[in-house]
Amino acid sequence: MRKIERFSVLEYFLRSLFGILAIVLLSVLMLIAAIFLLSNQPLTSIASFFAGPFSSLYAIGNMIDHAVPLAIGAVGIALAMRSGNMNIGGEGQVYAGALVTTIVALALPGWGLTGILIALTSSMLVSGSVAGLSGWLRERWNVSDLITTFLLSNIIILVVDYMVAYPFVDPQTNLISTRFVDPSYHLPILLPPSQLNTALLIALLCVISAHLFLYRSRTGFELRMVGDNEEFARYAGVDHRLYRILPMTLSGALYGLGGALAILGTYHATIKGFSAGMGWNALLVALIARFKPAAIIPAALFFAYIDAGARSAMFYSDVTYEIAYIVQAVIFFLISSRILQRIALGRRRV
Amino acid sequence: MIHTLTNLSVSAITIMAPLLLAATGGLFTELSGMLNIALEGLMLVGAFASIAGVFLTDSLLLGLLIGVASSMLLSIILASVTLYLKANVFITGLAANLFASGITVILSFHLFGNRGVITFDTLKELPDLFTRFAQQMPLIAGYHVLTYLSVVLLFAAWVLLYRTPFGMRLRGVGFHEQALASLGLSPHRYRFAACVLSGLYAGLGGAALSLHLGSFVPNITAGRGWIALVAVFLGQRRPIGILLASFIFAFAEAFSNYAQGAWSVPSEFLLAIPYAISLFAIIFYSVFETRKKRVEYRKG
Repeated sequence: MRKIERFSVLEYFLRSLFGILAIVLLSVLMLIAAIFLLSNQPLTSIASFFAGPFSSLYAIGNMIDHAVPLAIGAVGIALAMRSGNMNIGGEGQVYAGALVTTIVALALPGWGLTGILIALTSSMLVSGSVAGLSGWLRERWNVSDLITTFLLSNIIILVVDYMVAYPFVDPQTNLISTRFVDPSYHLPILLPPSQLNTALLIALLCVISAHLFLYRSRTGFELRMVGDNEEFARYAGVDHRLYRILPMTLSGALYGLGGALAILGTYHATIKGFSAGMGWNALLVALIARFKPAAIIPAALFFAYIDAGARSAMFYSDVTYEIAYIVQAVIFFLISSRILQRIALGRRRV
Repeated sequence: MIHTLTNLSVSAITIMAPLLLAATGGLFTELSGMLNIALEGLMLVGAFASIAGVFLTDSLLLGLLIGVASSMLLSIILASVTLYLKANVFITGLAANLFASGITVILSFHLFGNRGVITFDTLKELPDLFTRFAQQMPLIAGYHVLTYLSVVLLFAAWVLLYRTPFGMRLRGVGFHEQALASLGLSPHRYRFAACVLSGLYAGLGGAALSLHLGSFVPNITAGRGWIALVAVFLGQRRPIGILLASFIFAFAEAFSNYAQGAWSVPSEFLLAIPYAISLFAIIFYSVFETRKKRVEYRKG
């Protein structure tokens, strides 16, 4: 029999926080051990890893800016995962969203805010329908969404690569890149000289609305019900088919939005392969946050911190950037363990 | 026409070997009821460690063993965390992939001082077998040793899975876990074994990739582990189906390589061919399956 234990909300929160902190601490210790093993100047490496991201306002702003698309994509993943769907095609959906926004911005120069809204909407429509297609295929013919999102994403990446390299290429740069969008499309910078821009506010808005949607709306409740127990939801009269397609479309749309905002806020042109890794990283952020919207902001910031730390360590010492992958992998190995969760929560049973 | 087809098939068979090995590895985990998305990472580790092993020991066989052992080690970590620390297999699989892409670059940097391509002029090549008959029978003779091994090991996997008590039980775990537990057997133990076997096969697959090429490039697997997983699904989780599915993907890739040289179509579209074929194949297969189920439902 499952023993029901009661926690106050605060106690639960503190215990989960403690659990996550313990895991973070453990992986940081492993990181330090790895640096001592690999680096000839371990103290310099460690210092630049941990302090580098905070060395200046510029570094801090850029770190937060990198967290923005990750957080937006993670919100989408959380919605898909909470409804029992799987979208691992983020790489392609982010990239497609970025290209669509660039194309709209180049086609409608000088439209300002209206243009930005049109660009963002079209990105969300395109990426949303790609992911929605996978949801529909699963609903209609039980095609594994894990596989279709992955395959579609790879096809899209190649198509976008082609678009960037041929029809939309800017012959005047050495990079394989589109032309730059005009300044009326640039999002206002919040923290000069860094690249942190108003996309941050949109990310916060996404997180808050996703939280309210999941926990305060009927649709959100039904969505979670389908994810927790589809059979039960069907008996309760929930249209479970809708909750294959809707969350997938939303997750694709948010990935597209993340890519679009990265263009308008940070990059201002689609550079070939610029978003490589964003889709996977957003998925990992959602996993750290355990698909809870409120936890996505700290998770995305933490992720961006590890990333910035590894970059800084690579720049100022002799370790390679890939050391970030090792830390991240260790965190995932530990964080998804139910046994460790149980220990952290002090429960006998899960 | 016939000549081109033969040439395409010949290169497809070489391309197929790593894919088939990884897919056979995926078959073990899939039949035991585990979704193994770590095939990609296991292949990558196998590819790197075998090249590094050949370089350090100057022996193909030892290098191959080091490659396979490293990938098995990763699969043991994966299985332990997943089964004994009770973690979500999807997340640990992603973690294993992440770990693999990190550790291969880090080690290549620290062992060879190079984050990019590792290649040695003195590296031994995989020996080709039956080269004397390559002219008369190009479809079965003249391939490197791991290509033959991939087919032999597929057969071995079939024997193990369908003709031994161990294999029956392994499939039983995926089929009905509680039934196996009620016989007093440990489902975890069979999943663990399946996972380690998939590490062995995927590691060999990675080694077949890098040793045939004679060099290691970061992310040399480029999605092949995922395609192998698709091949398992598409092959209806049967050895012969997996062989067919792997050949189809390999043929698509061979065609895409050929077309890049022969036609002036942008390479991006040609590179997308294997993915597009996989996508259509998996959709058609699922449509077919649901139709069949609906008919059975009406009859019953």
